[in-house]
Amino acid sequence: MKVPLSWLKEYVDLDVEPKALAERLTFAGLEVESLEVIGSDFKGIVTGEVLSIKPHPTADSPEHSALSQPAEPGNLLLCEVSNGKDVRRVVCGARNFSVGDKVPLAEVGALLPNGTTIEVAVIRGEASHGMLCAEDELGLSDDHSGLLILPPDTPAGTSLSKVLGPPETVLTLEVTPNRPDCLSLIGIAREVAALYGCRLKMPAASFQEEGPAIDTCTSVRVEDPEACPRYTARILSQVTIAPSPFLARRRLTLAGIRPINNIVDITNYIMLECGQPLHAFDQTLLNEGRIVVRRARSGERMATLDGAERTLAPELLVIADARQAVAAAGIMGGAASGILDTTRTVLLESACFKPAVVRKGSKQLSLSTESSYRFERGVDINLVDWASRRATALMTQWAGAKAAKGVIDVYPMEPKPRNITCRFDRVRQLLGVDIANDPIAAIFESLALPVVQRNGKSCTVQAPTFRPDLETEADLIEEIARMHGLDNIPARAPSHGGGVPADDRPTRAVMRCRSLLIGLGLSEIVNYSFVCEDLLNRIDTGAADRRIVLPRPISADHSILRPWLLPQMIDTLGRNRSRQIAEAAFFELGRIFLKNPAGALCEEEHLAVGLMGAVGRSGLEKRRPLREEDSFAWLKGILEALGAALSFPLHSPRQQDAVPGIALSPLPPGSAAPEGFPLHCFKDHCRMSIILNGENCGVLGLVTDEIRRDYRILEPVAVLEIRLAPLLRHAWETPSAERLPVYPAVTRDIALRVGKDIKHEVIIRTIWKMAPKELTDIRLFDIYKSVELGVGFKSVAYSLTYRSAERTLTDDAVNSLHECVKAGLRSELKAEIREG
Amino acid sequence: MKADDLQALKDAALTDACAAQTVEDLEKIRVKHLGRKGLLPEIMKSLKDADPAERPAIGRIANELKQELASLLESRRAAFQAQTACQTQAFDDTLPGQWRPLGTRHPISQIIEEAVRIFATLGFTVADGPDIETEYYNFDALNTPGNHPSRDTQDTFWLESGELLRTQTSPVQIRVMEEQKPPVRIIAPGRCYRRDTTDATHSSNFHQIEGLYVDRDVSMADLKSDISYFARQMMGPDVKVRFRPHFFPFTEPSVEYDFSCHVCGGKPALAGRGCRLCKNSGWIEISGAGMVNPKVFEKVGYDPETTTGYAFGMGVERIAMVKYSIQDIRLLYDNDIRFLRQLSG
Ligand SMILES: [Zn+2]
Repeated sequence: MKVPLSWLKEYVDLDVEPKALAERLTFAGLEVESLEVIGSDFKGIVTGEVLSIKPHPTADSPEHSALSQPAEPGNLLLCEVSNGKDVRRVVCGARNFSVGDKVPLAEVGALLPNGTTIEVAVIRGEASHGMLCAEDELGLSDDHSGLLILPPDTPAGTSLSKVLGPPETVLTLEVTPNRPDCLSLIGIAREVAALYGCRLKMPAASFQEEGPAIDTCTSVRVEDPEACPRYTARILSQVTIAPSPFLARRRLTLAGIRPINNIVDITNYIMLECGQPLHAFDQTLLNEGRIVVRRARSGERMATLDGAERTLAPELLVIADARQAVAAAGIMGGAASGILDTTRTVLLESACFKPAVVRKGSKQLSLSTESSYRFERGVDINLVDWASRRATALMTQWAGAKAAKGVIDVYPMEPKPRNITCRFDRVRQLLGVDIANDPIAAIFESLALPVVQRNGKSCTVQAPTFRPDLETEADLIEEIARMHGLDNIPARAPSHGGGVPADDRPTRAVMRCRSLLIGLGLSEIVNYSFVCEDLLNRIDTGAADRRIVLPRPISADHSILRPWLLPQMIDTLGRNRSRQIAEAAFFELGRIFLKNPAGALCEEEHLAVGLMGAVGRSGLEKRRPLREEDSFAWLKGILEALGAALSFPLHSPRQQDAVPGIALSPLPPGSAAPEGFPLHCFKDHCRMSIILNGENCGVLGLVTDEIRRDYRILEPVAVLEIRLAPLLRHAWETPSAERLPVYPAVTRDIALRVGKDIKHEVIIRTIWKMAPKELTDIRLFDIYKSVELGVGFKSVAYSLTYRSAERTLTDDAVNSLHECVKAGLRSELKAEIREG
Repeated sequence: MKADDLQALKDAALTDACAAQTVEDLEKIRVKHLGRKGLLPEIMKSLKDADPAERPAIGRIANELKQELASLLESRRAAFQAQTACQTQAFDDTLPGQWRPLGTRHPISQIIEEAVRIFATLGFTVADGPDIETEYYNFDALNTPGNHPSRDTQDTFWLESGELLRTQTSPVQIRVMEEQKPPVRIIAPGRCYRRDTTDATHSSNFHQIEGLYVDRDVSMADLKSDISYFARQMMGPDVKVRFRPHFFPFTEPSVEYDFSCHVCGGKPALAGRGCRLCKNSGWIEISGAGMVNPKVFEKVGYDPETTTGYAFGMGVERIAMVKYSIQDIRLLYDNDIRFLRQLSG
């Protein structure tokens, strides 16, 4: 809501610095978004009288078109303009004026507000001694549709600053949806009056009724009084359509509304003044000249004033004449019945429509107007007739109209006054401030909220119809809070509450998991919940029917709720790679969204990890060739370290079948992906399902070469994604300390020559299978291939730890235990024991 | 053996030790004189055969020889070793340290975890709710009916199912109060969604932290006190809070709150060329809060007569941007490792 201060001062006597006023309003809940000063001292710009207008003699000839002046050929005029003393020849591109008009003439040497200095210019061969100005050139608005036309009685030569007055301050207020009364100057003036303790001045709304009796002119039938609780109509005849008075046009422009003609301007002027939207029909264009307020008929169509032809939904409330809809009630008038230059008789509508009805209609038509905006928030039903009278008064003054006798006012049920009781103690309790009873009551009175009853404990306030937001005691307490001043509410020591704390172990577990991942050297990333369909399809050809697609996305990049985290993880690695970052280790903790097979929308917390480049190596080793196995091993190591830190039971190798703890299981080509995890982005030979306590909970693997190529990532990329809840299952279990071993351990190394395809896990499983109970640990410490071992063989070396819980093991005892293991390896794996 | 002979022997031994060029030479000298079968043990053994008059002198010189020679050999050996170490190992203490760096916590997580910590000290625990919400929890229960214009300020992502992406974390208030009788003290961090076109300060996807404190006698002064405490803990010990009246359907009275600028200390005039962060106003807009609307209490079955409470929301990205001087909200979702490392915490 734009508020020109000089206009506001019509309704309240106010002598205060604009900045101070803005601050005061902001802290009373009417936030001032901006404070603009419009206009200047207009030095060198005077009132010019147009003496003659001729077409520019050479403007049409194409050979002059090389000149830099932007005006189109044929549009230029050559004018003689008097500045009261001399006559200036001026070239002008505008067309909206005629001989005798008074227009702003910027003389040679004048400085326009946009910084241009006026010089003698030669335009297409004609010298121009000065410039005739439009509003935008004077910094008054951004209107460039034509010259600013000054009042006709202004003497030529009068300085423009004298005509326009001093620069105008315009406040732009952000009016919250609960305060429709402040969508008007009078409403704001009422607040100002309360804040500064001055009086609100209502303008005059009286006029002579010189026309015929209204009943003989028209009639109004309201078919849906619930949707339209009040409708008034007045008739004005002998109207002369003309421009509005200069001051009114200036005010409308400053408030952001373009002046049209006196009748239309008056409806807008009154709407800005008091908040009541009005509509003016050309009565002669209404069938039978009468009004019916009804719902639209099925298939009914209407051209609105904005030029669009619209089909009206059947529930839409319309204003109709005897035959057809002529306006969408409270939203916009129809083109067929609007005010024309030839209009002589006006039917003036001032009505109240139910907010929800207008809101629904506005949504249906996708049409929001100044009028619908106000009706949606609620207009003052008791102001409807005042606004009509006020507009009628102006029409008699500005358009020479004759008002018909009387008014049609369909107002079947006046609302009962709403009385709200406010307990003084409750005010003090809720705000936590010490404020006495008297000031509380005084604040209500200052806001024009009459106190109809009062005792020592409470007072009863009658909520006026212009304050639909006041319904309960809490609403009244808010009035006290904002008028008393929120600064006066003390800030003390913080409160410390009792009560039963919620179980927030899940949150703490997530925070712990985050800290662990950071400790492991990973950087946390946060991606949008929306993902690009394209990206998703590149990285995941999985079940598209499970995706949750946004019906109306903001952009194609953000069209689907992410069904898993890895596409964005890979994308993030790629984005970093494109910025010359060769290595990165990332994790994300976030929600994913999927339809379950029954079609219900589900969300779940996941963890994704992505490694790119030589993240597992120290600086001096970064350049060593990087193998896929290295990346895979780092990622696996992160998962193992995380599992151990999150109290996952260690995988006990002695139990071959039961699988507590974290395990990986290969997913060879053709195998089904774990529920919810597509496999398309992984290399066939290197993708595993992550198994937590026997349950498939995620996937881990190396990203395919094709995807890496898309992102120009040269280094191996290893990623995993896992459901968070099973991963954190043990995170808040309390560990218990066990006795440390009493007897010393003995280690024996063993080096084996085995076939190169025999996997580490097969070897240690074999060892564990025949291990004596004294074997407590097996560690791989070396692995190599060489020519001397023979093609197809490798050497692996393990360190085995033996320990007895009952005694110190002697060398001989250990040797014999170790021999058992060696014998088993020879027979089971055809291993050659090279050492040990 | 005479005392003079022994004196000559001692001088020769010390001279040899001084002249030795290698550790091996030193060792030879040591073995020759001090070793188990060396000269000195021989002398000590033959002391009983010596002239009784010369015996004290011989004993003294022998002792001197033993001590001085041992000390000289040791100091020369140490010198040799130090020299060798320098020559062969060339220890470079300027090489870069070798340890893998820690990872980094995302700024959004930093703010959320810090807020959780701060409010935990006031007895708040964390509550949670879904991102995909129903119209009831996101709007209706929060006194924002479908035909009310206040819905317009939160342009919503509706889903085909009729559900929506929550536009605020406030639905968690309702979910908690439905489950739990007062007193309630929770904070609820989470993601929210609005159909805002993304630019430097807007993101269709953002995070909020909801706070709710409901009890028998909670006042607006409590709200101001607790938010002030949070502001001091989060932004700095001198940061102050101010309230401006505002409107939210689910609180009454409602306020917006600002923090005094922690960069210029709320005094931009004293900051030389002015303060870019607060645009010379001295204050930074943070978010909204208010006293829980009794209509919301009615929805969850609380007695609005005996119950009062406050609620607040805060924009996580907003606080992160203000705290870390981040110019563009999109940086928070860009995940450039260089940016993340700058703000590691
Ligand atoms: Zn500042």
